[in-house]
Amino acid sequence: MNILIGTILIWGAALWALAHLNRTAPEARPELYRRATETFLFMLPRLVVGLVGAGFLAALLPEAFVQRWLSAQSGLQGILIASGFGLLTPGGPFVAFAIGASALKAGAGAGALVAYITAWSLVSMVRTLSYEVPLMGRQFTLARVLISLPAPILLGLCASLLF
Amino acid sequence: MRPAFTTTQGVMSPDPRPRRRLFDGGFFFVLAIALCSGTGVLVTQGWERFRDILLSDLGLALLLLPKIAAGVLLATALALVLPKDKVLRHVGPESGIRGLAIAATAGAVIPGGPAVTFPLTLGLMSAGADLAAGVAMVTGWILLGLNRTIVWELTFLPPDLVLLRVLLSLPVPILLGLGLRAAVRHRARRQAE
Repeated sequence: MNILIGTILIWGAALWALAHLNRTAPEARPELYRRATETFLFMLPRLVVGLVGAGFLAALLPEAFVQRWLSAQSGLQGILIASGFGLLTPGGPFVAFAIGASALKAGAGAGALVAYITAWSLVSMVRTLSYEVPLMGRQFTLARVLISLPAPILLGLCASLLF
Repeated sequence: MRPAFTTTQGVMSPDPRPRRRLFDGGFFFVLAIALCSGTGVLVTQGWERFRDILLSDLGLALLLLPKIAAGVLLATALALVLPKDKVLRHVGPESGIRGLAIAATAGAVIPGGPAVTFPLTLGLMSAGADLAAGVAMVTGWILLGLNRTIVWELTFLPPDLVLLRVLLSLPVPILLGLGLRAAVRHRARRQAE
């Protein structure tokens, strides 16, 4: 259902942009279709392989295992481990939140939890591989991931001091 | 560099993307991960589980194709439609903290997942936004996306903890953007020397 709504929304936006281009620069259309087709064909194999790989990765990381690790460690070590697991946790909007919630019940600290959610948000390998590399290219992805790496640890430390 | 394209509005920018081969290092990297993790699943969890995952993800890819196609069309069209001077002024390399804040806010409020936000970012960057603004937009979406925070995060996690995470995350898109701009400037200086 979510996919359907998203698809309709983004087709609406794309058609609006096309209509605008038609009015302002109709002669640019062939170039637009050429570029779009080229990009689409470039992404297609990456997206398919990325999604399948993401599915396999997800199956290899049992949730109970992550939850146990998140709640067992504390302090800086806990934050570092939590950041690492965040990186590995597969996408999907709620997987990491569900794991985080059960880890919290099992005794995980605020620092570890914030580090985990932040790392999962910023550098989740699965989303990065299946969407970002195909769509944005390696250069953008690499720059973004490298500059983001310290954030989960710093935010985790701040959270553990404040909470 | 590809040739510039002339339109009634003036010269359309040359295609900013580098020439790409269909199967390059990036593809083989993703392929290697899929093969390794696939083998791992096959060995530890058996053929049936392997087949189930493979089929369900191929199905997901098929389901996503129309969305991705629209995303690519949108990104490509935006690059041609958006007024370059305005994009440059608001989120270009000289847009300062304000530009990064605009990009991060856009990322946070625009609903939709990766198939929407990445193409929008790409379109904006082709129209003049710099790498830092692009990263600020993506970071705004993944750290502060309102949709995700309201719908999912608050369902699972206690509100005070969510608030703490969101408050701590607020400056992050801008800080990452500033860091990237500093890195780009540093690199340019080193190359000039």
